[in-house]
Amino acid sequence: MSKPKNPWDQGNPDRLYILTTGRASTDKDLRLDLVTLIVARSETDPGLQPEHAAIVRMCDYPLSVAEISAYLTLPVSTVTVLLTDLLTNDQVEARPPVPVAALPDVRLLEAVMHGLQNL
Amino acid sequence: MVGTGSSHQGRRPASALIWLVPPVVLAVCTVTAAVLVPLGARSPVAWCGTAATVAVALTSSEAVRRGRIIDTLRRRCAEQEAAFRHRLVQQEIETRRLARELLPAAVNLLQQGASADEVLREVRPLTPLDPSFEAAHRSVLRSVVEAVQAEEGLRDSAHRAFVNIARRVQAIVHQQATDLREMEDRHGNDPDVFGDLLHLDHGTALIGRLADSIAVLGGSRPGRQWKNPIPLYNVLRGAMSRIMDYRRVDLHSVADVAVTGPGVEPLIHALAELLDNATRYSPPQTRVHLTAVEVQSGVAVEIEDAGVGLTDEARRRTDAVLELADRGLDLNDLGETPRLGLAVVSRLAKTYAFRVSLRPSAYGGVRAVLIVPENLITASATPGGEIARAATLPPPKPRKKPGRPLPPPPELDQPTEESDGSGGLPQRRRRAPGIPSRAARQAAAAAAGRPPRRRSPAAEPPPQPGLWLAAFTSAVNGEEPTTDSRGPFSDESSDKEE
Repeated sequence: MSKPKNPWDQGNPDRLYILTTGRASTDKDLRLDLVTLIVARSETDPGLQPEHAAIVRMCDYPLSVAEISAYLTLPVSTVTVLLTDLLTNDQVEARPPVPVAALPDVRLLEAVMHGLQNL
Repeated sequence: MVGTGSSHQGRRPASALIWLVPPVVLAVCTVTAAVLVPLGARSPVAWCGTAATVAVALTSSEAVRRGRIIDTLRRRCAEQEAAFRHRLVQQEIETRRLARELLPAAVNLLQQGASADEVLREVRPLTPLDPSFEAAHRSVLRSVVEAVQAEEGLRDSAHRAFVNIARRVQAIVHQQATDLREMEDRHGNDPDVFGDLLHLDHGTALIGRLADSIAVLGGSRPGRQWKNPIPLYNVLRGAMSRIMDYRRVDLHSVADVAVTGPGVEPLIHALAELLDNATRYSPPQTRVHLTAVEVQSGVAVEIEDAGVGLTDEARRRTDAVLELADRGLDLNDLGETPRLGLAVVSRLAKTYAFRVSLRPSAYGGVRAVLIVPENLITASATPGGEIARAATLPPPKPRKKPGRPLPPPPELDQPTEESDGSGGLPQRRRRAPGIPSRAARQAAAAAAGRPPRRRSPAAEPPPQPGLWLAAFTSAVNGEEPTTDSRGPFSDESSDKEE
């Protein structure tokens, strides 16, 4: 990770803790995964913090948390905190990427496999 | 003195005749006696009388001569006394002038950087004096000048040492901040480590501010230099990031302007010091309000706290500190608990022509207003509402174009294209394609099925990077673009979903 690649070092006096007012993680049980898809639920609001506004703007189309993090060049934890703010204000909506319950249980598969082997 | 002298002069002809009186009287007496005595005694009487007359004449003339000598002596003495007194008065004046005018002037010249010899040449007594007295004066002056110069040199070297140390600390802090930023990126997935890193980052910023303060007071410039204009919003946040209690600062409306590169760091630093004062001298549960509005002569940044406020005496003191900042860092003034803040602010204000005033606030606390002059203000790089976007967020769209045709949000592109053509309309239009797609997405979320979602991007107009890339490849393959465009696009979108 070299310096010129990072747009923050070329001219931004903000530090990351300012964006999230010092919060590094959220205590809420809102589970935001790297691949959780985020969709905006409202238009951007002029009163929003610019980062929030940018997320809302770019999430008009569903984007994963990892993608948002990459486009904003912000660490995932920061993005997660920003997203949590937006989620509590109902400005975006989080959607689990793959419905885990729809996948077969691993233990069941193993049991089937063992059963087949035992035949 | 003069009066007695003149009386001597007036008496002189009289005294010249006076000595003749006794011998004449004696001569008359002798003659009378010689006439009166019998003839036989006449000759001895005449002799005796003549001898006595001569003796008296001699004595009397001698007395008068001595009297005259005494007169001249007395006159000379008086003249000398007058001369001495005159000299004394002159020396007194000169000594007083040395104390009241020459020494301060000499010290002033020294503080302006003149050498000791120059100062001694400049500073001369008005009236010519005794060589010995003047030499004594010069030696007094010289020793004072040399002492002051030695002290100035000491202070200077102390300043330089201060600034030097501050520079080194600044360099380390800057490196540390860069490293921390990299670490924050690297460990962004782990909230615990990330939280600790943010904490360290904050601490480092505080150290950096202290080093900057010392550098500024030492007559140097504050830490970093910025090349490009920075939006004022980010400058204010940069100032917030350097104080202890940044969580208590509410950033309200900010004028949509940018600060030119050279003005960024001083402004950040001055505001950070003012914010630090505001948060430090107000109760911890109160908020500090930070706003920035455009005014006639530039931009006014207001910091308002709900603290204890300023008494008249405290205000006079702060005004005095704000006034006399050009003396720089005086080590003696620092004392046990150095209060650097306002001195730093006023120093920066003087250098960069900020105007700072501290007044009572309507909340009961202090309202600090810092006016940034117009020459440090420039138009924001991204006009029209997107306050800090240029510096904070890279535009998502162009970055995606070259390499991966994966998930570009088409809505982001459309409004910018449309806003070029017409002023107010794009907002309304953006909603039009947005609503059905969102509805479709919600339906998709409910059903967890793919077809509706696939339909929604298809329903949206096609300016997607994926599309034109697909069109390009299909054109390379010699196929007709319009018929095949749907195929690769739907493939990609399904790829994306998985």
